[in-house]
Amino acid sequence: MTELWEVLTEHFPEFSSGLWITFRLVAFAFVIAMAVGTLVAALRVAPVKALNRIGGIYVEIFRNVPLLVLLIIAFSGFPRAGVSVGQWAAGIGCLGLYTAAYIAEALRSGVFSVGKGQIEAALSLGLTYPRTMRRIILPQAFRTVIPALGSLIIAMIKNSAIVGGSLVALPDLLNRTRLVQSRTFQTDEVFFWGAVGFLLLTVTATLAFRYLEQRFAIRR
Amino acid sequence: MHKRHRWHLLLIAMLVAAATALAACGDDDDDDGGDGEETTAATEVEQFPANTTMGKIQEAGELRIGVKYDVPPFGLNNPQTGEVEGFDIDLGNYIADKLGVEVKTREATSDNRIPLLVDGTIDLILSTMTITEERDQEIDFSEPYYVANGDVLVPEGTEIASLDDLNGKRVCTALGSTYADTVEKEAPQADLRLVDLYSECFDQIQTGSVDAVSTDNVILTGMVIQDDTLQLLGLDFTTEPYGVGIQEGDTEMKQFVDETLTEYIDSGAWQEAYDEWVGQHLAEDQQQGPPDITLEEAIELFPLEK
Amino acid sequence: MSYLFDPDHWEWVWTGNNLRFLFEGFLVNLEIALIGIVLSLIFGLLLALMRISKPRLVSFPAGVWVDVWRNLPLILIILYLALAVPTSWRQAYADGIPEFFPDALQDELVLGAILGLVLYNSAVLCEIMRSGIQSLDRGQFEAAASLGLTYRQQMRFVILPQGLRRMVPATVSQLITLIKDTTLISIIAIPEIIGHGGNIISAASFGGGVQAPLLQVYLMIGLFFIVINFSLSRLSRRLEIRERERTGTTLKRVEGLEDQVALETDVAAPPR
Repeated sequence: MTELWEVLTEHFPEFSSGLWITFRLVAFAFVIAMAVGTLVAALRVAPVKALNRIGGIYVEIFRNVPLLVLLIIAFSGFPRAGVSVGQWAAGIGCLGLYTAAYIAEALRSGVFSVGKGQIEAALSLGLTYPRTMRRIILPQAFRTVIPALGSLIIAMIKNSAIVGGSLVALPDLLNRTRLVQSRTFQTDEVFFWGAVGFLLLTVTATLAFRYLEQRFAIRR
Repeated sequence: MHKRHRWHLLLIAMLVAAATALAACGDDDDDDGGDGEETTAATEVEQFPANTTMGKIQEAGELRIGVKYDVPPFGLNNPQTGEVEGFDIDLGNYIADKLGVEVKTREATSDNRIPLLVDGTIDLILSTMTITEERDQEIDFSEPYYVANGDVLVPEGTEIASLDDLNGKRVCTALGSTYADTVEKEAPQADLRLVDLYSECFDQIQTGSVDAVSTDNVILTGMVIQDDTLQLLGLDFTTEPYGVGIQEGDTEMKQFVDETLTEYIDSGAWQEAYDEWVGQHLAEDQQQGPPDITLEEAIELFPLEK
Repeated sequence: MSYLFDPDHWEWVWTGNNLRFLFEGFLVNLEIALIGIVLSLIFGLLLALMRISKPRLVSFPAGVWVDVWRNLPLILIILYLALAVPTSWRQAYADGIPEFFPDALQDELVLGAILGLVLYNSAVLCEIMRSGIQSLDRGQFEAAASLGLTYRQQMRFVILPQGLRRMVPATVSQLITLIKDTTLISIIAIPEIIGHGGNIISAASFGGGVQAPLLQVYLMIGLFFIVINFSLSRLSRRLEIRERERTGTTLKRVEGLEDQVALETDVAAPPR
C-alpha cells in the first residue's frame, strides 16, 4: 500500500505535467473540432448538392480511418510532400479533425431535428439563408446536440492517449506513465495512477455534461 | 432481407473470402521459404539434457530470436518475400540448426529487446546489439559476432563534416542505443532526437526533420542503398562489437552459443553470410573479416559511467 | 501537391509483393477484431445480466467495473496488459492456441492485446446490451410477468431475444471502432498492417525493388480501412433503421463512444 503512495509522491511532477498536457491537447482539439465540425455540418445541410457531397466525403474519410493512421500521415507523411507538421500541430489537428467528422454529423442531425418547417418559414419571412442558420437554426441545433457532444468529448479524452502513445509522442499522461514505468518497473502502481488521471478527466466531463444537459438541452 | 443491405453483406463476405484465399496462398509461400535455407550438411544433432536451456528449446521445437524488422541488411521483414531475413537471422538459423529446431522471429527494438529476453518471451537477442558493460549487468553476451563502426549519415549539401559539427544540430538515433550516450558525450550541444525505430530516423532525415543520423555504419549503409542523396561521413568514431544476448547466468547456453559461433566462423559460413548481406554493398576497402576481438575487450570499450 | 500525385511515388503498388503484404497485415487486424468482438459479446452479456439483476450486491460491483473499464483509454489498458500479463499465462496461451489459427495470433504477446480489447469492449457492449434491453417497452416486462413466467423464463423467452436483437446494429457499429482500435497493437510490436506498412517503407527497395514513400503507403492503408468501415457503417445503419421501423423503439444512447454517436446521428438524419 505504501508503495502505491510512494510512486505517486515521487513521480507527481511527471503525472501532473502529463495530465496537464492531455488537458490542453483535448481542449485545443475540441476547439478545432467544433470549428471544423460546424463548417462541415453547414456544407452537409446546404441546399447545394455538390457541397453536401464534399462534406460527406470529409465525414466518411475521418470517421473510418483510425486515428493512429491519421497521425502517421500528418506527422511523417506531410513533411514528405513539403508541408512540415510539428508535434502539437499533428496531435491537435488529427484529434480535432477526427472528432469534427462526428460533430458535423451530430450537428446535421440537430438541424434536421429542428425541422425544415422553421427553415422554410424563416426564408419566407425574407431572412437570408446564412442569417436563418445563424440566428434560428444553429442555436437550437447546438442545444439539441449537447448530449452527443458530451459523449464525443469523453471519446476525445480517451483518444488523446493515442497521440501520446504514437510516434508523435507528445508528453501527455499516457506517455509520462510509460516513461515512469520504464524507469521504476513498478508497472501496477504506475499504471494505476495513470488510469486515475484519465478517470478524473472523463468523470469530470461526464458530470459537467450531465449538468449542461439538464440546464440547456432540448429534447425532441 | 432488404435488397440493398444484402449487397453490403455480400461485399463484406467477398472481401473476407478474397482475403482468406490470399492468406492461404501466402502461407504456402512462407512454408517454402522457411526451410531449405543455408543449413549445414545434415550432421547429427546433439540432444541436450532437458534441464538446460538448449534442451528446453529442443523440446519446444523452436528457437525464438529477437531481431530487428526494419534494419536491412541485418534484420528485415522483407515485403517482397514475406520473410524475416538478414545477417542476424542467418546466424540465428545456424544456431537453430545445431539444435535441430525451427527459428521463430519476433521484432525486438533497441528499447524492448532486453525486457523481452529477461521475461522469457525470446530465447536469444540477435538484434544488432552492441556489447556494453551496462547491458552485461542485465544479460549475458556471447563472444562478438560482428564488429561495426559508428558513423554519421547526412544529406547531400550539408555542412556537417565532423562530430563537432553536430553541436547545435538535430541528430537522430534510437532510444536505448549506445549512440544516444556517445553523441551526448562527443557533441553535448547536439539536439538529440530519440525514436523507437531506425526507419523513423531514415524518414526524418529524408524530410529534413533532423540534420543527421548516427548509428552503426552498416545500418546507415542500408539507408544509403535506398536513398542515394544521403551519404556517410566515414568517421568510424566508435567500435561496436555485436553480441548475441543470452539470459543472465545461463553459462551452458553461453558456452553452446560461443562454440557454435566459432564453428560458424571457422566453417566459412560467417564469410558467406557477410558477403551476401553486407559485403556486396560496401566498397572493397571497407570490407572486413570475422571479428578478432574478445568479449572482455569488447566490454572495456563501453564501461559503465560512474 | 505534385508530390502526392507523382506516378513514380505510386509505382510500389503494382511492383513486387507490396500490396499483398499490406493485405496480409490487414488480415491480422480483422482476425483480432473478430475474435475480440466475439469474446466481448460473451463477457458483455454476462456483465449486462449482472448489471440488471435485482440484488445490489451483484449489480453494483458490476456497474463499477463496467464504468471504470469503458472510461479508460484502450491504449492504456493494452500497454498495461502487455507489460503485466504474467509469463505463465502467456506460456499457456502460446502452448494452448490451436495450430489452425493464423500465424500472427500464435504470438504470445497477442494475449495481452486480446485481453485488453475484451476488457474494454465487454464493458462497452454490456452498456449497449443494457440499453437494448431497457429500450424495450415496459409493457413487455409486465406482459411476460403477467403470463406467470419466472424471471429467468421472462429473460430467456421474451426480453433477451428482443433486447439482443435491438442491439445488433450497435454491435456492428462497435465492430467498426474495434477494427480501428486494432491498429493500437502495432505499438506493442505485433505485426499488423501498420507494422507491415513500416516494413515496406524501410525495405521495399532492398534487393532491387522500388522505393515506397511513406505518405503513399499510409494513404493506401487509410483506404483499406475506409473500404471496410464504410461498408460496415452502411450495414449497421440499415439494420438500425429496419429495427426502428419494425418495433418503433429507439436505442438509448450509450455514452462516450464516437461510433455509437455516429450510428445515432446517421439514423436520426440519414445521409442523402
